[in-house]
Amino acid sequence: MSNVPQTPIKRLLIANRGEIAVRIQRSCRDLGIETIAVYSEPDRHALHVRFANEAYALGGKTPAESYLRADRILEIAKEAKADAIHPGFGFLAENGDFAEAVEAAGIRFVGPSPHAMAVMGDKLSARTAMIAAGVPVVPGNTEAVTDAVEAAKEAELIGYPVMLKASAGGGGKGIRVVHNPSEIEAAFLTASGEALNAFGDGRMYLEKFLVAPRHIEIQVLGDKHGTVLHFGERECSLQRRHQKLIEEAPSPIIDEETRMQMGNAAVAAAKAVDYFSAGTVEFLWSKGEFFFLEMNTRIQVEHGITEEVYGLDLIAQMIRVAAGEKIDDCTGLVPRGHAIEVRLNAEDPDNQFLPSLGVIGNLRWPGGPGVRIDSGVYRSMEVTPYYDSMLAKLIAYGRDREQARRRMLRVLQELHVGGVKTSAGIALQILQSDGFITGDYDTAYLEKFVAERGKHEIQREIPDDLERIAAIVAALHRQKTAARRVMQSDNTGGTKTNPWVTAARREQHGRIS
Amino acid sequence: MKYFLRVDSGREFELDVEERPGGQCIVKVDGEEIRADFLDVDRLGQYTAIVDHRSFAVSIEEQDPQHLQVNIAGESYTVVAMDEREKAAGEVAGQGPPKAEIIKASMPGVLIDVSVKVGDVLEAGAGVAILEAMKMQNEVVCLHGGVVEEVLVKTGESVDANQPLVRLAPPQED
Repeated sequence: MSNVPQTPIKRLLIANRGEIAVRIQRSCRDLGIETIAVYSEPDRHALHVRFANEAYALGGKTPAESYLRADRILEIAKEAKADAIHPGFGFLAENGDFAEAVEAAGIRFVGPSPHAMAVMGDKLSARTAMIAAGVPVVPGNTEAVTDAVEAAKEAELIGYPVMLKASAGGGGKGIRVVHNPSEIEAAFLTASGEALNAFGDGRMYLEKFLVAPRHIEIQVLGDKHGTVLHFGERECSLQRRHQKLIEEAPSPIIDEETRMQMGNAAVAAAKAVDYFSAGTVEFLWSKGEFFFLEMNTRIQVEHGITEEVYGLDLIAQMIRVAAGEKIDDCTGLVPRGHAIEVRLNAEDPDNQFLPSLGVIGNLRWPGGPGVRIDSGVYRSMEVTPYYDSMLAKLIAYGRDREQARRRMLRVLQELHVGGVKTSAGIALQILQSDGFITGDYDTAYLEKFVAERGKHEIQREIPDDLERIAAIVAALHRQKTAARRVMQSDNTGGTKTNPWVTAARREQHGRIS
Repeated sequence: MKYFLRVDSGREFELDVEERPGGQCIVKVDGEEIRADFLDVDRLGQYTAIVDHRSFAVSIEEQDPQHLQVNIAGESYTVVAMDEREKAAGEVAGQGPPKAEIIKASMPGVLIDVSVKVGDVLEAGAGVAILEAMKMQNEVVCLHGGVVEEVLVKTGESVDANQPLVRLAPPQED
């Protein structure tokens, strides 16, 4: 890895949209790098277009017609004379062919090598590489299983309960937990069929199903000179159907010694594939043991909480690494304080977390000490069915966990998003639940919390009579709007009085008295 | 003016709002008289309420004048608010025969499975179709249940938000 070419990056194309595109632009501004945005038809008004130095239309509405058009994006990068492309997350971020085509065109890809993506992108090859590197993996088979009889044999060797997983899987598809031998055949057939449909690959593998596991991941950063560093863990157990909702750093159950062990394992995992750029090694933690789950070869949604506790800009580091610089000056950083992130998604927790579409007509952002909002949202933005439902990331930082938690409560009380349903309300309840307060939760906690809503012990800090206040407010609202309607109809008789002005004056008077 | 309010927890309130010159209100509830000041902040859904000197930053989403979502301090309440005339009218309407139900698509997407046919009897909350949108598969369910009278779509069809999918006749009362 000697003789790494030094290629300064001055113009960077961001092959993404929404919150992460804005996030990358912000680092670019800080670094004095010009940004080039690409956008689909529905995104013409988007913040990432307005904040960019230059913007190019991709056309199309669906991801396949727009942000997944690798050919078109590369063409634009050449036309705009970009010297680097940052893929963000999702879309083309883990597409090795795209990374290779970008580099072949003499443009730096801000991410890892296609080789690292290929090895880590396939669950079986990743597992093989991790075993070779001495990284602990969940007990299971390394050979793909193609029929139910074989699956039953492997399950006996591993011991029930086992988990069936699609070899090419992702997003929760093709996954089944099997508790006893009588269920294995049916489970294999449905999971394998699902995988074949979703990924065109019905191969499955099996592993030990862990009891009450926690999802804990390690942030790594490598350069092209062979240095790989880790920046501690993120606790991501509060998830539902593999969609994370609340993350925190550090984890309430990881001590300094375990942090070093997991960090070293993550660095070994990254080094096994000559990793450079930012990446995340995900582990399952169960009863004091941890096992490699997978490595995400990209920046992750929840990178912000690591940035807060390590005082680091990971996006800026990725760009540096792509330019061929060394990361030696990041050695020896230690975590300080605590950060909590809530994902603000346009979804309805009262209706199976279905995506909630509409226009954001009303928006009130929180602020104040220890608060960071990474967002792509603005008032009157339309939430369309074409893209991911994540609107923004709310991050609270504090000197310790309790201060961060209290700040996040404040954030969620100040925030209001009207026009679509969001995850803010359920997050506020979870942050006040006993499980969260004590730090005693696992990956099943959120699902259970939702199912048993109302039964949970919640130390809510709201006035007892808030419901009565809501009723009073509703009555006052009716009274005032009725008055306004009467006034408007009074004014239809040809007078020149503007009812809105009159109403505003009335309210001004109300304010003074 | 008198108002009847029902909050989503099922709790009901009956209160009287009296507007004073200058916009201040007196709210009479449970034999108590409360001073209240309520102002529209931005005409986009944000309000400020001072109820007996306690201050609340309020957001209201109005479906129609009777159906309000009142948001205070991160908590959200669905409130049905009726005046005396509406309450009387509502009680009359409530005594009529149960209404037929039309099940609509909640969002644009592709129907990957329409699982009911004419004549099927559905319980409240039963699934009628699977709708794929935003890369997620979502079950479309009926609210009240009934007998399937007409299936307006078929598997594989793309639908718009609010497009009617299935029409139900009211459940037979024995």
